[in-house]
Formats: sequence, C-alpha cells, structure tokens
Amino acid sequence: MPALCVIAVIGIVILSLFFYLLNTARKKTPVNTNVMGKKDFAPVYVSLADKPDSIMRGMDRFAREVQTTEKAGDKWRWIPLIIFVTGVGLMMVDGLLLLLGYFSLVFSAGGFLLWIAAFIMARSLRRSDSLDFSPRYKSTKEILHALRDDLKHGSTFTGHLDLTGALLSTKVAREAKDAQNRTTKLFADPWLSLKAKLYDGNVLRVTAIQKSKKRDSYWKRSRISGKSKLKPEKFKGTEQELKVRIVVNPEVYKIVPNNEFKPGANIGKYTIAQLSTDGGMVNVVATSPFDEVEQSHILGFLKSTYSLLQRKAS
Amino acid sequence: MSRKVIPFIAAFVLACLVMVVAGVFSFSGAVSAEKFGSDQIWTQSYSAAESMKVIDVTGDGQYDLFIQNISGVRIYDAGGNILQDFVYANPKTTLGDVNGDGVEDIIVYHSGNSFSVDTIINGQQKTIASQLPVYTPSRNAVIRFESGPQIVLGDNGGNLASISTNGQLLWQKDFGSDETRGMDDARIGGVIHVAIATYDGSLGVFDSNGNIVWEVDQEQIRRMRAYDLNADGNSEIITGGEYGALFVYNAKDGSVLFSKSIGQAVSEVRTVELNGDPSSREFVVGGKEGGIWAFSFNGTTATQIWTASLSDKVTEISGLDIDEDGKEEAVIGDDSGKVAVFTENGSRNNLPSHNSGITRIDIGKLGNERYVVIADGSDVQVNKVDFNSIPGFQYTPLIVGLVVSAIILIIAAILASIPPKPEMKVSFQDKSKESLEAQRRMLKESIADVERLRKSGEVTGDAYLARLKRLRSDLSENEAAYKTAGYPIKVETFQCPNCGGTLELGMDKCEYCGQVILS
Repeated sequence: MPALCVIAVIGIVILSLFFYLLNTARKKTPVNTNVMGKKDFAPVYVSLADKPDSIMRGMDRFAREVQTTEKAGDKWRWIPLIIFVTGVGLMMVDGLLLLLGYFSLVFSAGGFLLWIAAFIMARSLRRSDSLDFSPRYKSTKEILHALRDDLKHGSTFTGHLDLTGALLSTKVAREAKDAQNRTTKLFADPWLSLKAKLYDGNVLRVTAIQKSKKRDSYWKRSRISGKSKLKPEKFKGTEQELKVRIVVNPEVYKIVPNNEFKPGANIGKYTIAQLSTDGGMVNVVATSPFDEVEQSHILGFLKSTYSLLQRKAS
Repeated sequence: MSRKVIPFIAAFVLACLVMVVAGVFSFSGAVSAEKFGSDQIWTQSYSAAESMKVIDVTGDGQYDLFIQNISGVRIYDAGGNILQDFVYANPKTTLGDVNGDGVEDIIVYHSGNSFSVDTIINGQQKTIASQLPVYTPSRNAVIRFESGPQIVLGDNGGNLASISTNGQLLWQKDFGSDETRGMDDARIGGVIHVAIATYDGSLGVFDSNGNIVWEVDQEQIRRMRAYDLNADGNSEIITGGEYGALFVYNAKDGSVLFSKSIGQAVSEVRTVELNGDPSSREFVVGGKEGGIWAFSFNGTTATQIWTASLSDKVTEISGLDIDEDGKEEAVIGDDSGKVAVFTENGSRNNLPSHNSGITRIDIGKLGNERYVVIADGSDVQVNKVDFNSIPGFQYTPLIVGLVVSAIILIIAAILASIPPKPEMKVSFQDKSKESLEAQRRMLKESIADVERLRKSGEVTGDAYLARLKRLRSDLSENEAAYKTAGYPIKVETFQCPNCGGTLELGMDKCEYCGQVILS
C-alpha cells in the first residue's frame, strides 16, 4: 500500500510536470488576477515631458520592445517539452535493460536531471512572458492624439501615466479601523496626470484618479469552537475621479455659467461633484462609479468643460 | 557582469558538477550491468534433503552427489544416475576419511539397533557400533584429533558420545539438556578440538578425551559453526540464537569477539569469500524472517558489510565464484523456494524459483563443469549458473553526464539569447529648454500637491514618502537632462549617501532611511 501511494505521488508529479511543460509550449498560462478580481496588467510607469508625436512614437516603440522580448522567448517554448521527452527516452533505456535482465538507474538519473533542467528552462521562459498592457495605455495615447492639435506650437505634454497598480502600499491615502479592529485602506491612484499649454493660451491640467477601498485580512475567532480563522482581504469597491483645471487666457476667453455644466450634472460616465470658476480658473472635480472610464468620456468631459468659456470678440 | 555571461557560468558550474559525479560513478566501479542466470542440467525426485555435498565418495576421482534425508542416503553420479542408495531410519550423516585411504567416507548415525553408527566405504555398508549411550540422532562429525580421528555423536537430549573409527566407545558426556544444534571441529593453537552447541544455549569446546576446555551459556542456539576465519590457528565459533543474538567467540578461551542482535531468529550461518581477500573470511547470516547480513572478520572483530533480504526463512547459504573474478557470490535459498545470488556489495540477482522451500544448496564440480546443486522439498536439481555483463557499462555515467551537460549548456545559450525584459519605467523627455522647464514646473507643482495632501491627511506617511521619492527622482533626472543639454541649472537635489534616495538640498536627515547627512 505505501508503495502504491509513492507510485501515485510520483505519477502525479510527473503528470504535473508534463502539463506544465505542455502549457509552457502552448503558451497557455493562467491569467493573473488582482484582489479586485481583474486581470493584472504590465506595471508600466511613463514619465511624460515631450511633444505629443514623440510621446506616441515612444509609447509604440516601448510596446514593440516588450513584444520583441516575448517573441524571442516564444520560439524556444517547445524546447523544455522536447528535453522532457529526451529524459523519458533516457529512462526507457533503463527499462530496456531491465527487460534484458539488467538493472540500471544510470539513464533514469540522467533523465531525471533533464526533467529538472526542462523545468528550470520552462520557468525562465515563462518569466520572460510579459503581462498585457492595460487598456489605459492605449486610451492615454488616444487622449494625447486627440489633444495634440490643441497644444501650443512647440510645447510639450508633461505629467505621467502610472499603470503600476491601484492598490500599492505607496498609494494608501487613508487607513481606518472599524469597531472590530479591522483595517480598511483607502487608495488614491493618480494614474494619469497631464499638463499642457494649449494653442489658445489656456493651461490645461487633467488628473485621473482611481479611488479604491480594501479591507485587510484579519484573524477571526469563532465564538463556538474558539478556533481562529484567517479571513482574506476583501475588495470593497472602486470609483474614478477626474480633476480638470483650466487656467483661462483672459485675453481670449471669459468664463460664463452654463446650466448644463454644473454640480450634479452627468457628463458621459462622470457626474460633476465640484465646480469653481474663481480667480480666472476653472476647477472641476467629477466622479464616476464605474470601474473603468474610456478615453472618449474623458475627452468628452474636457470638451464640456470648455462650454464654460466664451471667446471674446476680437 | 553581463547578463549573457551569467547563464553560461551557472551552466558551466552545473555541467562540471554533473561530470564530476558521473566520473566518480564511472571510475569507482559502482555502476555495472550484470545478471546471473541458470540452466537446469538435470533434476531428480528427492524429498527434503537434510544433508548434501558434491564430493568424491566412490574413490574414482570423479565428484559425486551425496544426499541424505530422513529416510536414507543416496549417491548420484555426475549425470544424475543413482550409484548407491541406502535406507535408514532417521539418519544423521557426516563425511570423513575413516579408513585413511584419502577418500571421504560416509558415516551414518541412525536409530537402528538401539542407535548405531554405520560407515559406507566405497559402497560397502558396515555397522561399526550399536547400542550406543545416545538416543535420537541430531548431529555427528568426524573430528581428526591429534590422537586420531573420532566420530562424535550428539542426540536430541544433550547426550554426547565419541567412538573411534572402528566403533570403540571412547568417551561419553551429558552436555546441556536439549537437542544438539551444532558440532564442528575447532582449533586452539592449531590443535583440533570439537565445539558443540545445544538448543538450550550451552556452548562448549571439548578435547579428544571429552574434557571440556571452556563452556558458556547464552540464549537458545539455533546454529553454530566454527571456522578459523583469519587463519591464526585459533578458530572462531559463530552462534546464532533463537531471538536474534549473533556471537563470535574465540575458540581458545570463549571470549566474545563480536556480538550483535539481528532482530530475528538466526536460521543459517556460512562463510563466503565475498571480497576475494584470503587473509580474512566473510560470513553470511540468514534469518528466520528472510533477513541476510554479511560480515567481515578482521581477526579482532566483525563488521557488517551489507544487509539484504529474501521473502521467507533463509534455509541455505553457499558461496560460488560465478563471474570468476576471485570473489565468491552468496547463493541463498529460502523456505518459499526463492534462490538469489548476492554479490560482494549485496546487490541481489534472482535465479529461477522452486515450487517448494529450498533445503540445501551446494556447489561443486560434477563431470567437467562446476554446478550449483539445489535441493528443495521434492527434487534435487543440478544447475549451471552463468554470469553476463555489458562490457564498458561502467562508463555510461560519463555518456549520460555528457548528454545532460550538453543540454544544460544549450539551455544556457537559449536563455542568454533572450533579450532582457525592458524596464517598465520609461521616460519621454524633450531636451529643449522650454520642455525641461515645463517638466520642472510640473514636478514642483506635483511635489507641492503631495505636500498639500499630506497636510490635509489625504495620504499616509509611507505613501507620501514613496510618492515624494519618485517625484524628487524625476526632478533629479530633469536636472541631469539640463546639465547634459548644457543649460544652466540651479541644482536643488542630491542623493542620500546611504540609500540613494533623492533629497532636496539643505536636508540634514534622509527622510527615507533616517541617515544623518553632514554637508
């Protein structure tokens, strides 16, 4: 019976290794998900201080570089499986010897070493795999593309695109404890920050922030059995915030109220939360309960903000 | 060090390691492909042999097969034909040259005529003594004392008697109270004595007059053998007990040279020249549960060489140099009919199984060949045991090592050819003065934002520091870009000498690591 158990365990290990190598070869790797249950994306941080065309070209080049690395690994993906099969072949030599009445473990040992080598290679190949780029990477590029004609000639976009993740410890805005001493963290992830001097003399500043809430894991003691149990961390929700500031060129525009653009008004996926037009600046804070807001909504909101400006007669 | 070089160094080290291990296995001789097989030459029906020996008992210079069971004695010639057959009631036999003609004679101690001793010399059966003062036969031996050969008899009640080769009673003795389980000649200072053991645990050495030289008591004895293992003129007496006690006594004074508990009743003890070194002999012990232990005796004490097992009680052990390398292999049979050959290092090679338990195994030359004769519960079989090996197999670890090393190096080459994953932090920076100024302004605004968030409690301490660190780092890069482009810039940042984090000029303590900065 113990021998059967050992054989079963060895069989399971060998099968697991085989399917691990097969999935490596077929590039069928499990999709990583984060605590939000969403797919993990490449943790990219882009510092922006360039002309729109340069930024867009650079972003395309960067995406290509990542792809090149992945493709370089892709052409070798069948090698670990071939090494595994070679190991099986070596082991079969021992099997053949056994059939002939000789007992040998030399070839099996060699085969086992090859299996280890195949596993190490497969792991290395999998590590060279890159996560997909977040859709925000593309949408930021499209925002830059849409705004490029509005930019003052020769000036640059400055800011950043931070796709490293919304729930990092470096993005904790606040921590709160409830009556049961459970810690809930509030995260603020300013994933897009963009400043641009526009053609009409205005200065536009846009910040897109993802605000999330997560309860940390904690130990809970059962009132009946007295046993302690680790409760996993729990994602409590997320919302998007968009801050827009336009420093208005007073020679070109005057700020006028607009009944369709006031606090509480819905502009696409956003709802205006705060609006201030003091000091020759338009400051708007809009929120959206959606997990993700597409670039068309951001651009649409920017366009709507401009409805507060009325061009002065020349 | 280059990222492309590291996999090769690691692969080279691993390949060297593999080759060293392969070399050790190859040149130590630990790897071999060997097998033992057997071909049956002839078989005859013969039930439960108690004693068997390949020996010349007819004096024709050709070896015969002597065999005995509870109902008689039989001699086969080399071809398996019956030469002589004698019927006895409950006989015990021994072989020895009784008449001094240089040919071994058969001495039969049996229950007939109130316990008698017969000799069978050249096929002539003769009763030399009867109505002896011993009872149901258990052991007998021809002991060639200095004063002349004696036939020593032991019954199943601890009675001993010795008769001369012409049947005259020389001495008699009560020794122990149970069955005689061992009787062998033992030398003390080169002088032959007789060592006798009984089942009740009595062990003694007697001289030619039946006087006891020394005597010990131990746990019940199942087997006793006496050998001069190191050829120093003093024999070693090996006993195996009912409860697993294994002792090696010095025949000179009965001192214990070696003892060990093997955990099961000892069912057989034999010497086998396992290591081919004639200056010492090895002995193999078989257990009632199938355990097998090989020991080497160096003149002072014994050391265990290896241990192995069969599936049932070990009934017989015999030594034969099957592969003709000067070292004997142990041919061992068990009560379930299994026969296996154990090599010097204890590796097991099975020979064909028998339908009933093995009772005796002997090895010797019948005709022109050396054969292994195996007696089981119903038959006696003569087998030719052969040995096969694959020449040069000992170097296969080197071949396998080369294959593995080559594949390791190929893997290293593949991994080195894959370009490194690009840094996930990228910066698109226009080098014009206006752009750098705009970026600098933006960064300072961002730093001010973070400061404001901290003051309003909208960011925790760690997050504040992390964001500040990143922004200051960007500011430092901006300053570096200024310098590279040749624009004048008032430097506002510096690196912490301890953690490398970017700090604002004038700070005297690093906000990230706490290092005090003297500048």
